[in-house]
Amino acid sequence: MADYKAPLRDMRFLLNEVFEVAKQWETMPRLSETADPETADAILEEAAKISQSLLAPLNRSGDEEGCRWENGQVFTPAGFPQAYRTFIEGGWCGLGGNPEFGGMGMPKTIGAQVEEMIQSANISFGLYPMLTAGACLALDAHGADELREKYLPNMYSGIWSGSMCLTEPHSGTDLGIIRTKAEPQADGSYAVSGTKIFITGGEHDLSDNIIHLVLAKLPDAPAGPKGISLFLVPKFLVNEDGSLGARNTLGCGSIEHKMGIKASATCVMNFDGAKGWLVGELNKGLACMFTMMNYERLGVGVQGLAAAERSYQNAVEYARDRIQGRAATGPVAKDKAADPIIVHPDVRRMLMTIRAMNEGSRAFSTYVASFLDMAKYADDSATRVNAEALVALLTPVAKAFLTDRGFDSTVFGQQVFGGHGYIREWGQEQLVRDVRIAQIYEGTNGIQALDLMGRKVAANNGKFYELFANEVAAFIEANRENPALAEFIAPLSAAIERLSDVTEHVLNQVKSDPNAVGAASVDYLDLFGYTSFAYMWARMVLVAKSKVEGDTSGFYDSKIKTARFFFSRLLPKTMALAESVKSGAADTMALAAENF
Amino acid sequence: MPDYKAPIRDIKFVMNELLDMPAHYQTLPSAEMTTPDMVDAIIQEGSKFCEQVLSPLNAVGDTEGCTWSETGVTTPKGFKEAYKQYVDGGWPSMTAPEAVGGQGLPESLGLVMSEMVGTSNWAWGMYPGLSHGAVNTMILHGSDEQKETYLPKLVSGEWTGTMCLTEPHCGSDLGTLRTKAEPNADGSYSISGTKIFISSGEHDMADNIIHITLARLPNAPSGTKGISLFIVPKVLVNADGSLGERNTVTCGSIEHKMGIHGNSTCVMNFDGAKGYLIGPENKGLNCMFTFMNFARLGTAIQGLGASELSFQGALKYAKERLAMRSLTGPKNPGGIADPIIVHPDVRRMLLTQKAFAEGSRAMIYFTAQQGDIVHEGETEEARKEADEMMAFLTPIAKAFLTEVGYESANLGVQVYGGHGFIAEWGMEQIVRDTRIALLYEGTTGIQALDLLGRKILMTQGEALKRFTKLVHKFCTQEADNQAAQEFVAPLAKLNKEWGELTMKIGMVAMKDREEVGSAAVDYLMYSGYATLAYFWARMAVIAQQKLAAGTDEEAFYTAKLQTARFYFKRILPRTLAHAASAVGGASTLMQMDVESFAF
Repeated sequence: MADYKAPLRDMRFLLNEVFEVAKQWETMPRLSETADPETADAILEEAAKISQSLLAPLNRSGDEEGCRWENGQVFTPAGFPQAYRTFIEGGWCGLGGNPEFGGMGMPKTIGAQVEEMIQSANISFGLYPMLTAGACLALDAHGADELREKYLPNMYSGIWSGSMCLTEPHSGTDLGIIRTKAEPQADGSYAVSGTKIFITGGEHDLSDNIIHLVLAKLPDAPAGPKGISLFLVPKFLVNEDGSLGARNTLGCGSIEHKMGIKASATCVMNFDGAKGWLVGELNKGLACMFTMMNYERLGVGVQGLAAAERSYQNAVEYARDRIQGRAATGPVAKDKAADPIIVHPDVRRMLMTIRAMNEGSRAFSTYVASFLDMAKYADDSATRVNAEALVALLTPVAKAFLTDRGFDSTVFGQQVFGGHGYIREWGQEQLVRDVRIAQIYEGTNGIQALDLMGRKVAANNGKFYELFANEVAAFIEANRENPALAEFIAPLSAAIERLSDVTEHVLNQVKSDPNAVGAASVDYLDLFGYTSFAYMWARMVLVAKSKVEGDTSGFYDSKIKTARFFFSRLLPKTMALAESVKSGAADTMALAAENF
Repeated sequence: MPDYKAPIRDIKFVMNELLDMPAHYQTLPSAEMTTPDMVDAIIQEGSKFCEQVLSPLNAVGDTEGCTWSETGVTTPKGFKEAYKQYVDGGWPSMTAPEAVGGQGLPESLGLVMSEMVGTSNWAWGMYPGLSHGAVNTMILHGSDEQKETYLPKLVSGEWTGTMCLTEPHCGSDLGTLRTKAEPNADGSYSISGTKIFISSGEHDMADNIIHITLARLPNAPSGTKGISLFIVPKVLVNADGSLGERNTVTCGSIEHKMGIHGNSTCVMNFDGAKGYLIGPENKGLNCMFTFMNFARLGTAIQGLGASELSFQGALKYAKERLAMRSLTGPKNPGGIADPIIVHPDVRRMLLTQKAFAEGSRAMIYFTAQQGDIVHEGETEEARKEADEMMAFLTPIAKAFLTEVGYESANLGVQVYGGHGFIAEWGMEQIVRDTRIALLYEGTTGIQALDLLGRKILMTQGEALKRFTKLVHKFCTQEADNQAAQEFVAPLAKLNKEWGELTMKIGMVAMKDREEVGSAAVDYLMYSGYATLAYFWARMAVIAQQKLAAGTDEEAFYTAKLQTARFYFKRILPRTLAHAASAVGGASTLMQMDVESFAF
């Protein structure tokens, strides 16, 4: 397995040259207090180092060893507790946290890059701090000041970690039917009882305390999603002076045996009248959860990219080293028994596919992150409202499209290795197994597609969609006469027109067929994804073309060549997807359930 | 792990209604033994064994895996006993010629059993499966003495076989292999070298293992033309047929893999092991490739099996799991939510699996029928024609069906949501087990080069024309069948485009040597969807006819028809993308410097 090398050059290209995030920060006073280009760059450097030297070496061993459950205690694989200590000393858990409580207040555009590096190095490890960050977001946004003061500083420092307890054995996607109960107590706290499953980082040996954010229902709560409240339930109760008190009545009943992310503890958590405190308003638990959902979903999308990046690096190294067959145009490595397999067009097709999707994914996640920052930090409300709409629209695409393509890419990366890709020691198959969950958790990709098409497009009759389409149209208009972009503007125009056309088609269908959304949604999301990537690639090419002359590094030249590959070999998928979406719901719904 | 249930109704539909196997079997030498009743009885018995014995061992095999020690490899608990039952039941000898102790049944019938075995427990099925190649190679290329010595016990299943090709430095490119064969005074050879990825190379299920091994003679020409084929038994066989000394071929270790844990994937060390030349010197690859089509069709079954098993598991879950309400109003008002099969997106996944599983079965059985004719066809002309048809369809079946089988397996995980990722449900095992099918027996990329380069362009498109003619004939036949036009019209259009696309690529390929490699996989996938469209159209027409004539199996034929519609409307558009990408040009792939791939 190749040593992981953080793609800092590409990250800097996106941050500084394509999206020019520093200029954006200057317009947002609350952000410009904490974020400046030098600090941001230093953070990227450090994150690269810690990912490469501390986390990546524990990836394979973590997979082989896995987590161990013993009488309610969970032990992470060898090296994880030590690495976690080093990790939190670097302050990484509080990177995007609220400075008022000890967070670093860094923008998501930087956070997304840091997350990518951590996840590329070691997804299992990265999940522990990721869950903490998610819990902090929800707590910071909705918790009472007393709760925030008591818990956030230690969570941002990583001394305590967090978990999100939503799923129950009978309810995952459909949270409206959860059964966990919260009984009000005389002292204002609640006694929480029930069983939660699939709780990532629910129990482990990395931190001194674990702060569970738990969805539960009050005894007299309305049925369905409108009767769900959010509670903070710590593993250890915290005394007035901030010291740890009694063990709360909750425990880890077992851990799951999974396809991948074996070093991440996936726990069954039993709450047995555990003491908890309400976060946010009663019966508004789901809404509180959704605050952090956009951040988390982007983060999961980045996992897809992260695994694919790692797979790409390994595959390129292998394709340069492994000799097999001769080039179709004559021997290249004449002194060797065969040529390196990177000479073969089909091997290149796989590598180029991964590369084009990865660089597109990195651009897209940075782009979405910039809207998250605007939605959170912009001073004027028009900018905020616009950014919120785009975040709402683009987040499900980022989550689902990046993880679906990320999974495909790890499979390609494995394919480049031939039979060796199937063997554990090479590491390629682990990436496939690890990233598979990203298509499922934080809302399956099917759910993301429904969210996109149903709630984000159809429910507002295409209003959010128009914001995006107008931005792309403005870009096309501004560059229509630009000779540098000539070969890309036409297919980009065609792609956005196709997407707009399909969007309109679906908006019409929805009026008469309630199943129209569900039948078309996954193909629609993919169509949206490829089209937005075409926009990302055009923007990247615009910059690359202006800098390619005289550049000896080959960086800008490669960007342009990869863009060409994307447009000629990958973008055609939009034709198939559009056709499939437009065929309607009838054929999907026709078969009686018993006739399957 | 989902309990496997053999899809006998669909197997019979493909055999009897689509391919008219009963009439076909009457043209083969085994006609007497393959009456419809006999065929039914064989399938029934086989399905029982697969459902009751093999299926329960599938999860066990994955969890336990194989264990290596200096003395050999131990297979998972229950594997050995199941194998004994399989041998006692006479299953290994089904399709071998009677002359060597076999039952002489058609290969296509053997393939039906292989489907059931492979779907219920692929890792287990690879032990007897590998013997098949060894038996066939020996029948065709072995001397009389070799046949007498090895075949009876290989055919009965008392011994198993392997195929030893790959070495650490060479997989796709066998021309560079290094294993040496030194002639001995007694006419035998001393084989030395290391082979890797040898499936079933060592295990505890049989008394002897016969390794069919590729090696080079001293002074052999370099490259693929200097490779010979040898029989290297694990235990030497005495003149009287009894087992003699242990040969110096040993299993050095077994691989830790993503899946098929129940099958031992061995590093085999040949240390001057005694071997016997089979077939002419330096013609080893030719001998090996004689039966490659059948071996590759065997691997295509893994794709079919993945679609089928994952579909069965996902369907059961989708009917039981309650979440959310149907958009057209509650379907399970008494429950807290509706079963997830009411949701369009869940149906999309199930129907994709179903369309692939049933389409794969049609494509594989059709190809196997051609295989029967190749071996036992009545005329030389029929044999040749079938051989060419099979040569064309094999790379498509192997690569396309395993690619879509893998997609189906992943959809099965997705239907389960988070539970799909958990080992105890068994759905993720199907993904891990199936992944290898896209790699071994020639990767998808290698199959695609074989299809476009060797099979199509080298014959100036003849191989393709043979198949598109068949499609054309069907479309012409059904030209006046109004009801069938929803299938026939798009199929006819596609069939025409297929030729044009091929021509287009062929023209470029004459000038650009990178073109074939650049277009191959997209071209193969396009061909796969087109081929499947042909089979789905034919199946749809049969279903329409049955429904029109009146049938007491209305539900079955209606489902067939509806699945065909789903395939045409929702899956077939993928050809648009593959066609466009295939002609996207080699320059987009070749222009980047090797150094620029990563910074």
